[in-house]
Amino acid sequence: MNIKTPAKAGTMESNDIYVMVKPNDEGGIVIDLESIVMKQFGKQIEKVILNTLKDLGIDNIYVMAKDRGALDCTIQARIETAVKRGM
Amino acid sequence: MENVRIEKINLNSSQRLKVESFLSTFNLFLDKDVEYTIVAKKDEEIVGTCSYFGKILKCFAVKEGIQGEGIASKLITHITNKLFDEGIYETFIFTKPKNKYIFKGIHYHEVYATDEVVLLEGGMASIEKFIQNMFKKSKLGNEKKAALVMNCNPFTLGHRYIIEKASKENDKVVVFIVEENRSLFPFHVRMDLTKKGIEDLKNVKILPGGNYIISSATFPSYFIREADERLKAYTKLDAGIFSKFIAPIFHIQRRYVGTEPYCNVTNEYNQTLHEVLPKEGIEVIEVDRIGRNDKAISASFVRELIKAENWEEMRKLLPNSTYEFLKSNDAKEIIQKIKRSDSPH
Repeated sequence: MNIKTPAKAGTMESNDIYVMVKPNDEGGIVIDLESIVMKQFGKQIEKVILNTLKDLGIDNIYVMAKDRGALDCTIQARIETAVKRGM
Repeated sequence: MENVRIEKINLNSSQRLKVESFLSTFNLFLDKDVEYTIVAKKDEEIVGTCSYFGKILKCFAVKEGIQGEGIASKLITHITNKLFDEGIYETFIFTKPKNKYIFKGIHYHEVYATDEVVLLEGGMASIEKFIQNMFKKSKLGNEKKAALVMNCNPFTLGHRYIIEKASKENDKVVVFIVEENRSLFPFHVRMDLTKKGIEDLKNVKILPGGNYIISSATFPSYFIREADERLKAYTKLDAGIFSKFIAPIFHIQRRYVGTEPYCNVTNEYNQTLHEVLPKEGIEVIEVDRIGRNDKAISASFVRELIKAENWEEMRKLLPNSTYEFLKSNDAKEIIQKIKRSDSPH
């Protein structure tokens, strides 16, 4: 499945993540992640994003995520909201 | 922080004065051209503010003593959301070098820094991707090129002369047209008339300037008050971005500029290009403008002629394509705008 329009969810406040998504013309899933805890949790955050997208059945998407220390459940919720807003 | 809330300011009301007085405590002022302004309020006191014009966030300040309490991120989130809803996914901030860490903390990236000013980008913006994509879309190859950056407001025989000279002296020439719409002739018209004006020059490619060819008109004035200092900061930033990103990706080895006998801004700009570009291995070639009756052909002079409805003189300074456009119905609105305007752009 694809999304149709760019969409966003979240805030740039501490303990949250700001997620922007748009259709990926070149196909596939591309994730650009920035995090204040990149070294410790970068891989884990990417995994959560990827799994959430898979659960939603999304195959083509560009995700830009700016994390300020969000928990996994927050990341999941923000990704799901952004994707559904873009459908 | 529960009691901090964000409010939109009606810029045409007395609320504006409150924002101005808040900013004045930071030695800042509210730029004339801001489109949208918000404040953060704690109880009834203003503790922070941010505005934007187009893609550029401006006039940002947070009260001293409570910086670091998340007010900046609230303000930036609100503005980013608002811009997102308007279809603007890339944002930019110009700031003093000492303030850049405030924005880096909320994931703004440094595009380029000079001693006086830093340009930061946020949202989905990424200069390298953007310029790479511009290059890919242009379908240009990896051969060595010469480049020009022009506003063409509107396209005159003066522009034609410089482009033609570059076209003769180089295998491939790229002309970037300043995309920001701060000019009297809208971007698509400037682009179109330039394309028509050089149709016969097969080795010249006209391209939109994109996000990173910044016009002096959009460079913010609120935090560098001194006009000369501001101009210097702007020209250094622009020349720096060109030589660090645009030139290497497009394989540009030469940059052509016209001499400008009347305009101080262009003079200063050319001088800075001479200082910055050769250090990066880019040759700067300054071309004397062709003149008529000792007066160099310039677009600003053409706009004066439009104001005075001096069609006879215009005919001598413009290629047929521009002249025909000005005579057409499509130009009526623009001509009216020029007649009403005192803008130097």
